[in-house]
Amino acid sequence: MSKTKTVEVETEARLPIAGPAEVRRAFGRLLAADRARAVQVLVLYTLAAACSVAVPILLGRVVDGIGAGWGVGQINLVCGLIVACVAVQFVLSRLGRRAGYRFGERAAARLREGVVAKVLGLPLHRVEQAGRGDLGTRTASDVNTVADLLRDSGPLVATALIEVLVLYAATFLVDPLLGLCALITVPPLLLAARRYLRRASGAFVAQRAAMSEAAETLSASGAGARTVAALRLQEERREAGHRRAETMYQRFMRVLRLQVEFFLLLLWFNRMQLVIVTAAAGMWYFEGALSLGTAVAAITVTVRIANPTNAVMVQLNEFQQGAAALARIEGVNLIEAEPRTAVPEGNDLRLDAVTFGYGDGPNVLHGLSLHPREGERLVVVGPSGAGKSTIARLLAGIDRPRSGTATLGGVPVYDIAVEELRRRVVLVTQEHYVFTATLRENLILAGPDADDARLAEALRRVDAGWALAAGLDTMLGDEHRKLSTAEAQQIALARVVIADPPIVVLDEATAGIDPASAGNVEAALAAALAGRTVIAIAHQLQAARSADRIAVVDGGRIAEEGSHAELLAAGGAYAALWRAWEGD
Amino acid sequence: MPSRPRPPTPERALTPLRLLTGLARPHKGRIAIGVVFYTLAGASSMSQLWMIGRIVDEGFIARDGAALTSWLSLTAAAVVAQPVFWAMGYRQFTRAEAANQRAIVRRLTDHLNAAGTGVRGRVSAGELVNLPSEDTRRAARSIADFGFFFNNFAMFAFGSALVWTIHPLLGVVIIAGSLLTALVTGPLLTRLQRRQSDYREMIGDLTAHAADIVGGLRVLRGVGGDLLFAARYRERSSALQRKGYRVANSSSWIHAMRHSMPIVFVAAITWVGALLAAGGAITIGGLASAFSFATIFIAVSGNFIGLANFLVAAWVAARRITAFLSVGADVDDSGTVRGVGGELRDPDSGLTVPVGGLTVVVTAETAPALEACERLARYRDAEAVWGAKPLEEYALEEVRGRIMLLTDEDHLFAGTLAATLRVDREAALTAIETACAADVYTGLGASLDGRLAEGGRNLSGGQRQRLRLARAIAAEPEILLAVEPTSAVDAHTESLVAERVAAARAGRTTLVVAVSPMWLARADRVVWMVEGKVHTVGAHAELLADPAYRRLASHRTD
Repeated sequence: MSKTKTVEVETEARLPIAGPAEVRRAFGRLLAADRARAVQVLVLYTLAAACSVAVPILLGRVVDGIGAGWGVGQINLVCGLIVACVAVQFVLSRLGRRAGYRFGERAAARLREGVVAKVLGLPLHRVEQAGRGDLGTRTASDVNTVADLLRDSGPLVATALIEVLVLYAATFLVDPLLGLCALITVPPLLLAARRYLRRASGAFVAQRAAMSEAAETLSASGAGARTVAALRLQEERREAGHRRAETMYQRFMRVLRLQVEFFLLLLWFNRMQLVIVTAAAGMWYFEGALSLGTAVAAITVTVRIANPTNAVMVQLNEFQQGAAALARIEGVNLIEAEPRTAVPEGNDLRLDAVTFGYGDGPNVLHGLSLHPREGERLVVVGPSGAGKSTIARLLAGIDRPRSGTATLGGVPVYDIAVEELRRRVVLVTQEHYVFTATLRENLILAGPDADDARLAEALRRVDAGWALAAGLDTMLGDEHRKLSTAEAQQIALARVVIADPPIVVLDEATAGIDPASAGNVEAALAAALAGRTVIAIAHQLQAARSADRIAVVDGGRIAEEGSHAELLAAGGAYAALWRAWEGD
Repeated sequence: MPSRPRPPTPERALTPLRLLTGLARPHKGRIAIGVVFYTLAGASSMSQLWMIGRIVDEGFIARDGAALTSWLSLTAAAVVAQPVFWAMGYRQFTRAEAANQRAIVRRLTDHLNAAGTGVRGRVSAGELVNLPSEDTRRAARSIADFGFFFNNFAMFAFGSALVWTIHPLLGVVIIAGSLLTALVTGPLLTRLQRRQSDYREMIGDLTAHAADIVGGLRVLRGVGGDLLFAARYRERSSALQRKGYRVANSSSWIHAMRHSMPIVFVAAITWVGALLAAGGAITIGGLASAFSFATIFIAVSGNFIGLANFLVAAWVAARRITAFLSVGADVDDSGTVRGVGGELRDPDSGLTVPVGGLTVVVTAETAPALEACERLARYRDAEAVWGAKPLEEYALEEVRGRIMLLTDEDHLFAGTLAATLRVDREAALTAIETACAADVYTGLGASLDGRLAEGGRNLSGGQRQRLRLARAIAAEPEILLAVEPTSAVDAHTESLVAERVAAARAGRTTLVVAVSPMWLARADRVVWMVEGKVHTVGAHAELLADPAYRRLASHRTD
């Protein structure tokens, strides 16, 4: 059985989301960063669209030509020209698309690299307050959503949009008045699209949410299959599942209603445009204001407008999702980095009259002072919820106290640059993360200059025989070699041995190791850390006896302080706990 | 291990085809109506293009205002009607799709109950997330895709017939153009998707790498490695970009081709039509019509292959769903004996649980002790005995109602505290008190209506453990087998929990697996297990005489 405790502080401290103006600016930056290429893509798309529009216009010439009694030779000449236009269009379209995809590829790379660089510099307490799930979604699926947009739908819509614009321009070229007629349906279409987007975005999000809720409910039923059996919850789980199914259905139906309404308008406006242009062309043709060829050209150009218009409209939603994802990504950029510039003198670490609470919550620590002496092994014990882990976080400079000071070498711990701080203080929690990477990569991050011998020595120190046997090139991670809690903890401890800082804060760092082997690991670790200042947080008492000093924390205050013998002699809370622990 | 035969499976095995047709069957009427509307939509859409020819010939060229007006009015009528027909067809098919989603999720839910603990270890957590979401979506949309397929087919059939009436040669060109476009660009697209699969894989890797960085952020900041990982990410990101460039080389050809093929045939129609028109074989209106047909529906023909791909995806999803629906129960449920057994005995380990009192199992290896408890609680088919009869002769319902296993695997479902504890207010508060879980209660707003997130994610690990214990206490099972119920609890609290649980369960049977003096101090009987077998049974005080036991079960220095 593993003993883990995850600190998940529920607060309102969600990560920010960028507003529409910021999203537009971010999008503008993505385009501007590669301006020359963007212009190149635009020119190629426009030329390709112009070539394809030439086809119906040349058809008009053929119609007039036939009326004027053209021979086969002349018809072949113009039709040959049409084929040439199509061929040029094909080549330009290919070049444009390639440039467009490459543009998207570069923009996506810039975006994701920027996000990861930003994430690595975020203030840790900010990330932990918001929960790592949110940040994880933003750096993974949101980045992918925007990247897909830049790579796939972006170029697709850009080509279609440019084609639409060129087609409208062509109707003006054919006949300005007919061009105006074609434009009549554009404003209502745009209004309908706007209205649809406003309402549909919420409906689509709700539909997807219903689906993930169903997924969550069913996977909970599966993960808790034993609990369902033990507590005979079958009927409740059935109801919960069916409720989710019903919600999915209802939300789907709402999306359907909105879609039907919008598609109906879209199709109407598309074809109405054709009727209007044809009627106007007929009128002016009868008046002798335009030739038959011009009329036919105008009609056939209008027929063509429908396809790219639909392509743009169908993709509108993807753009909206992309914008929402970009807003969340930009939100990460809105978090201000903390300036951490203080330089400590010496390694004297102390808390003086600190109070602290999470988010807007009540104080967890109430004017607590703690001064680990250099080179001493200080053990902090106390009941769950007494504030022990908070002490560790303040000592490691993750959080800032509300009042009082946490200092290292005379300067506030949380003002010391991260690189400087971790050379002096390393915090190991029971949340022992193992990266999907080789064993070597998992260790060397603690000491980039360490050679294999030193890594192996560190593994020996923490009693990780399995790791030595597997070899430093072994891939770790769930898909490769999945580590047990105890093994992951040994990796975390080996990192500390490699980093070899003068001060180590261990927050329940050996809690996950089996009772039988925990003793070995602790003894080995104690030997490895001899001479360092060690502050060990524990809820069990094994570690306390051999400590130089013990601080008993209760209710956010130091209740007792002293050596094991002193505290036993004092006959206080520690002494009572110890007797129970010993099995009296 | 003797195992009775499982109940026979239903007479006909479920196949993906049966699943999909079974889903369509209740919507027969809807599909029929949808087909009618889609047919009408296709017919009216194509007739508009044909009427363009009539307008040009009988209106424009004949300079006949009346003919122009009447043909235009007819076209306008078709323009008004066609979107309505299409939307009605779309509505029928999509409603069936939505109903299918609901039906599949209901069926998955019901099967989870039917398979019970059988899904443990046989269906991964990832699959359970995908089944009601992605797989359901893909399988359910098969019916709507069938509708689109039919709609496109109707347009193709009507359009081809109308072009044929203009001139058979144009009909041949347009049919050949559609088929060729479908046959050439479809497979190209499929090949492109295959070629993109390793590109997609690289995206997946990079995404996982980003998730890794976020997950281990505290290590990277606190211990080091942030620069190392940032560099590694940039390196992989550039590799992905290079790969993307290569994909763009080929995909730009294919997409350009998909876009240009219809235009090539428009050009061909124009050329052939112009020559026919010049020779007087067709009218100018016929030429304009043919051109419009080519523009509209050769573009549509590419859809056929896209739809075929969706149908393949639906098939794959349906296969995954049927695989899940064929997962059966893992423990035999054919026992019939009712009532209470008596002493529980597990021959494999030698562990016995007498009626009444608190038995504490002390062991250095928790795993085999957990397995013994699983056998005693009937989560594994085994030779465990309850009183005079084998445990498996008892009705499973009876066993579940009387014997409860409590482990850290137990799930906390989303819901209120009251719904979690499943007893009246007074009993709930008592159980919370017994498990020392008052901090959970106050943390959720000092109300039994406080809400738990799925899996108890809004609680700490220690709080989850104590809440699970409270739930088991509240259920008041006759026999409670608790494995490491206080492993995440501090010594002080553990001592209180042991005292209160022993008192609360007085008169009932309780077994606790724990290496803790706090529990041992309260034990009526201690079982010392070594390597999964019972070594010694006795009182804690007696056993302390053995140095090996003392090393394990006491923290006292010798």
